[in-house]
Amino acid sequence: MILHPVDTILSLVLLSVLFSFGTSRLPGLIKVIAFQGIVVSMVPFFIGHDMNAGGIVFTFATLIIRGIIIPMSIYVAIKKVAIKREVEPIIGFHASMLCGLGLIVAATYTSRQLNIPSISDYTLLFPTAIALLVAGMFLLMARRNAIAMVLGYIMMENGIYLVGTTISVRARHIVEFGILLDVLAGVMIMAIILQNIKRTFDDVDTANLRTLKE
Amino acid sequence: MVEIVFLTPFITGIIAFFLPKAISRKLLVATGAIHLFLSLFLWKNRPEAIFNNYFAVTPEGLLSLLVISLLFFLISIYTVAYLKESEIQKENIFTGSMILFLSTMTMVTLSDHIMVMWIAIEATTLASAPLIYTHRSSASLEATWKYVLICSVGIAMALLGSVFITLAMDIGNVDAPLSFSALTQVAKTLDPMWLKAGFVFILVGYGTKMGLAPMHTWLPDAHSEAPSPASALLSGVLLNCAYLGIFKTNKIMHAAGLNDFSGTILIVFGLMSILAAATFILKQNEYKRMLAYSSIENMGIIAVGTGIGGIAAYGAMICMIHHSLIKSSLFLSSGNILLGYGDRFIKNTGDMVRRMPKTFVAFFGGFVGISGFPPFGIFIGEMFIIVGAFRTGHYITAGIFILSLCVIFAGFANQVMKISFDDSDSNKTIGLKEKASLVWPQYILLLTSLILCFYMPDTLYQTIIDAVTAIGGGLK
Repeated sequence: MILHPVDTILSLVLLSVLFSFGTSRLPGLIKVIAFQGIVVSMVPFFIGHDMNAGGIVFTFATLIIRGIIIPMSIYVAIKKVAIKREVEPIIGFHASMLCGLGLIVAATYTSRQLNIPSISDYTLLFPTAIALLVAGMFLLMARRNAIAMVLGYIMMENGIYLVGTTISVRARHIVEFGILLDVLAGVMIMAIILQNIKRTFDDVDTANLRTLKE
Repeated sequence: MVEIVFLTPFITGIIAFFLPKAISRKLLVATGAIHLFLSLFLWKNRPEAIFNNYFAVTPEGLLSLLVISLLFFLISIYTVAYLKESEIQKENIFTGSMILFLSTMTMVTLSDHIMVMWIAIEATTLASAPLIYTHRSSASLEATWKYVLICSVGIAMALLGSVFITLAMDIGNVDAPLSFSALTQVAKTLDPMWLKAGFVFILVGYGTKMGLAPMHTWLPDAHSEAPSPASALLSGVLLNCAYLGIFKTNKIMHAAGLNDFSGTILIVFGLMSILAAATFILKQNEYKRMLAYSSIENMGIIAVGTGIGGIAAYGAMICMIHHSLIKSSLFLSSGNILLGYGDRFIKNTGDMVRRMPKTFVAFFGGFVGISGFPPFGIFIGEMFIIVGAFRTGHYITAGIFILSLCVIFAGFANQVMKISFDDSDSNKTIGLKEKASLVWPQYILLLTSLILCFYMPDTLYQTIIDAVTAIGGGLK
């Protein structure tokens, strides 16, 4: 069986998911997100749906936002303000890695059950999308650092973007105008909030955000 | 034409950010009045939208729109009085966000396109986040952070759900616009498996916003930290808007003949919410959190009613309207209690019947209404839901439903009695004069609810029936 080039690069994304589960420092996690952002927004170019000019513009816009602007701004943010560099795991790194492996197996198994004709040529596409989605949620729940949580959220969005852009033209239109607004708005607001959390609490450990119970 | 209803508050909202305090307060009330007028006009004439691929006037949308409009107008009158009594920094941001929030919620009620609906619900999160952060304390910051994070995840799930619905169209070879009304017509040809997947994700996504358990965790914090007028809006209308997204998707499911599937899921989520509310309401020591849990309960009730269908779906609609009216009045009264006693804990209040008699009338009246006593509408709605559950053989559902309602009533009553009749520290002075504009909005809301029980105008009745027929409901 000949591996499609898209699958080769997606296998790297799967590895990066494992890496993100094992890394303890924020800069590493940011690089993983940037890499995933770039790959995920490049994939639509290699998958045979017709692209009109608008589609190309959107794809490049996502590439720049996901791959460059967001990671850069978070990177600058943690440089400028003295935010802790540790991701402060709730679930330890070894346990996280094991979860990650299990997740990839489960994602591959699940996507075999679901038969989507338009992307059946690309073996790793749907598994990667599921893995990104669930891995993002995992980081959201299993890390205490607020920036790590935001990065987890972006990883989740990358997963949705990967499904949406590749399944069909119609779905791509949805994620195109949906996700841009989503990313811009969500992250901007989160950044502002983070800044304020910083000011109020001195660091972004959300364990400090535990006065309201339940 | 239709678009004017949400464009007007959008423009005035942006203007309000730049105006001095006094004028922006007037603008708030003026926008409320204009919006109410426009909504009534819309109700009467039901015009076509200019962008009719994206917007449409639907019966369920109209119902929500009218509720939003009436509530906002009354709340805006209260807000002006509330702002005079309380100290809020950067008041322009508060009033501006309130108006923008109105605009985004109006857009939700009028949207017909799946993505326009999604964008509008996303926009409600953006517009309401500053409202929760109004007090700028660390607790309100935590509540805002939780709200934005959890709702963003929810909205992302809803996006994935929308993607799955397009996949259902592709696999079923359907060529139709991506609007709820068009999809409802071609629902039979959609691929059922992906339609189901889409529904589940949309339910989880918008359900987060609606406050269904177990995704409800942001709700008590946000409602208790926001200033009372904002909590009244959040609870009274925002939750309905999110429900509208679920309702419209459920319409597609019903048309596709998958209503058993969607109904079961709605019942499960609804019961979980009612149970969660029953568990947590018993030990609440803050009155605004208590009201927030009661909102979760009512959203659960509405979800259960929608899930059962038939006469229960009609009951759910009745519950939705009356819950909005009564709960927003309760939140406004809780604002008076907060201003009066200067404390959010139940144990530091007390003897409200003598110390704040006018607020007491509104608060106690609201409590009687929300806990489902006759003659208020919640009673009628819950009655329909229980009858519907028995008719369709959902005996266990009905059992859990009734039992939880009893527990919630007991917990709620206990706390309300403490606030109203317990001895309070007599040295403490009440820091609030009960001006007319601080109590009349609540009275009017409760009266509206009361009147609707005895006399429902034909046009309103017909609109409710039109709305629920599409999901297999009705009075038969």
